[in-house]
Amino acid sequence: MNPYFITANDFDAFVTKMSKDKKVIGPKAKKQKFVFGEIKSADHLRLDYDVTILPPKKVFTPTCQTLVTFDGDKFEGNVDNDGVILFGVHFYDIRGIDITDLLFRENNRDVNYLAKREASTIVGSNIQNVSKRSFWGSIGTSDSGPKGHDAFLTKMDGGYVLECLTQKGEDLVKFGNWSKASAAQVSEAEKINKDVMDKCSQKLSHSSSEIAEKVRNSFDNQELWSNLAEDCFSCGSCNTVCPTCYCFDVQDKWNLNQVSGMRNRYWDSCLTEDFAKVSLGAGSEENFRETRGERFRHRIMRKATYLNEKLGTPACVGCGRCSAACTADIADPVNVINKIMEV
Amino acid sequence: MTATDYSQVAPQGNIFLPKECKIVNVKQVTELERHFTLKHADGSKVKFEPGQIMEVSLFGFGEIPIGYASSPTRENTFDIVIRTVGRVSGAVNKLNEGDSLFIRGPLGHGFPLEDLRKKDVLIVAGGIGLCPTRSLIQYITDKRSEFKRFILFYGTKDPSQQMFLDDIAKWKKANDVEYHETVDRGDSNWKGNVGVITELFKKTELSADTRVVICGPPIMFRFVVAECEKVGIKYENIYLDLERRMKCGVGKCGHCQINDKYACIDGPVFRYSDLKKLEEAL
Amino acid sequence: MSKPKVAFFDFTCCEGCQIELTNFGDTNFLELLNHIDIVEFREAMTETSDHIDIAFIEGSFSREEDRKRLEKIRERAGVVIAYGACAVTGGINALKNDRPDYKQCVYGKDAEMPHLDSQIARPISDAIKVDFEVSGCPMDKYEFLDIVSHLLHGKTPVVPNYPVCVECKRNEQICRFDEGDYCLGMIAKAGCGAKCPADGIPCEACRGFIDSPNEAALKKVLMERGNMSEKWAEKKTKMFTANLRSDAKTLGV
Repeated sequence: MNPYFITANDFDAFVTKMSKDKKVIGPKAKKQKFVFGEIKSADHLRLDYDVTILPPKKVFTPTCQTLVTFDGDKFEGNVDNDGVILFGVHFYDIRGIDITDLLFRENNRDVNYLAKREASTIVGSNIQNVSKRSFWGSIGTSDSGPKGHDAFLTKMDGGYVLECLTQKGEDLVKFGNWSKASAAQVSEAEKINKDVMDKCSQKLSHSSSEIAEKVRNSFDNQELWSNLAEDCFSCGSCNTVCPTCYCFDVQDKWNLNQVSGMRNRYWDSCLTEDFAKVSLGAGSEENFRETRGERFRHRIMRKATYLNEKLGTPACVGCGRCSAACTADIADPVNVINKIMEV
Repeated sequence: MTATDYSQVAPQGNIFLPKECKIVNVKQVTELERHFTLKHADGSKVKFEPGQIMEVSLFGFGEIPIGYASSPTRENTFDIVIRTVGRVSGAVNKLNEGDSLFIRGPLGHGFPLEDLRKKDVLIVAGGIGLCPTRSLIQYITDKRSEFKRFILFYGTKDPSQQMFLDDIAKWKKANDVEYHETVDRGDSNWKGNVGVITELFKKTELSADTRVVICGPPIMFRFVVAECEKVGIKYENIYLDLERRMKCGVGKCGHCQINDKYACIDGPVFRYSDLKKLEEAL
Repeated sequence: MSKPKVAFFDFTCCEGCQIELTNFGDTNFLELLNHIDIVEFREAMTETSDHIDIAFIEGSFSREEDRKRLEKIRERAGVVIAYGACAVTGGINALKNDRPDYKQCVYGKDAEMPHLDSQIARPISDAIKVDFEVSGCPMDKYEFLDIVSHLLHGKTPVVPNYPVCVECKRNEQICRFDEGDYCLGMIAKAGCGAKCPADGIPCEACRGFIDSPNEAALKKVLMERGNMSEKWAEKKTKMFTANLRSDAKTLGV
């Protein structure tokens, strides 16, 4: 696979041509913020974004996804295998996708996620602007870099370098006036991506393994968790915006005729009160995580320790979306974890 | 514990597609519970391990996790018991003989048959916990010679909550089943034991090498385990059948997560010695 | 099978929810009319009938003499559905519940006129058993239609018990707080699709609270991020959820 270069002048034509041929999802402006959305021409594309409100997981596992449609006793699966080009993804979000890829693949392959995922092409892009709450510079280990992308785009003076990693990535070159990148351009791209790593204003104070151990050992510190969660609204915003949260609820919906309908899955949040609640009948119920503190702890445990062995990294990529989304501003993993480390 | 054969679980590779079953027989067992006997609509044999679960579903209502309540030794049909607690169970409990029901399963890990064979086995079932354990009870009584002593404790809130009355009558009569029962509150007709289920430990002598299977309301576990400990039964020989919100049944949706385990695929049957290490499990 | 007889009743309210119903005018609603027989509907017709299959009640229960009327409806009706915030929680009417001087405030010199006499505003369920509720101010006509369609088929509708933030985030809206505004979406019961924040206005919790609203944290956030004074932040949820606040109990609700 080759690295390619395109001039800034030719780049827009590339994006426009690519988006005429394929469905391209990339970062777009929404007022002063950014979201991933369909790119129909180059002027939609905002590669200078800092972070999007929702992570790109929504492309492969939409907020509401129909799993099965039914009509009386007849039913059929509803697998979406239309691939898209997911363009301009920052490395931390590729890492998020790497994590959901693994979790949807392990044990039981979830084709409702994987069909679209595997048919899609992911193109990363370098971070031009660093979001205020991000801390990706200080999380993970040296070998926990992004893996699931097909190509990676880096903007530099005068143009862009595209590093192709798979044939799917290589296939994009035909849409634009790309030429072979020089060794100097390639090393310039590497430098840009390396230099950005210490640009986050927020940092975790310890290594991921130190954090994992301390957080786990703090499990029984009830006072700590209930203090941390005192202002929690149980609104689940921290889950909803998280690139590695993938829990879902399944609900059936009737069409108005009450004969046909669909079985949908919706993003769910372990911070909401009913997440682990079971009805036992005769009005009694059991909530396996009844208090705010228990639910808050579960999220931190999941991000910092529970999945580390399976993933080889924490299940947090440092995007800072939860920090920004939490109205009470208690979700910020940097504040929470640095506080736990001091206890 | 044997691994699940997921090819059975995921027709067409889609883990959310259920298979159709037909209701062969229905019995109202208590005010809230109905006992269904089902067969696969395509006539295929029923294969599962005692203690495994399935997602029972009705389109338009949803899915609920339910344990098999019969033994795989009876391979043409299988039983489930549904307690009316909400939307799905309420709708299922309105169905009749000949109606269709949909299931995804078998799912998860059941009772450790290999570890129970040639051993004394004690099953402690509280309330609706008798349903999933019935898959093991039937298995043991069907293959009685493979096991040594078989002791069964069954406790309910009151006599009206007792299920499988025909089975109970048989267990009471059988020479090779040591059956003991109790209720929290008796009524005017009740002549048996009154008191919590742990009282039944006084009724019999257990060897320290007994294998124990416990299924019932979460509150019951701690007390029963304490009784087992008194007899010298080791933690690794005690198995708990856990209740959780097993929404998807295939280890994806996150609702039944306990630490890094999923009750639906890593359980619902766990060794107590493993659970002890798992925060939030008990 | 004959069509179910459906009747609409109103108590203390603006009748806005009934208006919302007549606003339907689309094929879904006209289709619904094919399946039901409306026997009483003040905004659109006058007629009375003895037996009712489904009674829809709008408005709060705010006068003791209304209790009898409600009990009569309950006797006649197979299913009672409270619809709209006033009927479900007491709604905006409950704003007066801690104001003994509310009559003077509103009516001035006419305050002592006998027909203006009323007690505190309460949900319909304080007087009679209510089978289902359609929340919101006004109630959402599509949710109403969905619930009615469930009931007509003997099914139970599902209403979420998570806050509006869940739906708002799923919609990828910019948080009102990030726009320098305030919002009550964190403690408000969802099901509306978070339409208000999507339109650039704050959620006022018109569908009521989630089961365990963190009122103390709300006050803090309204002050720190919503730029409200302490007094204003403290009282903010009195608009639609006065009866649901933890201090409502002291008012005898």
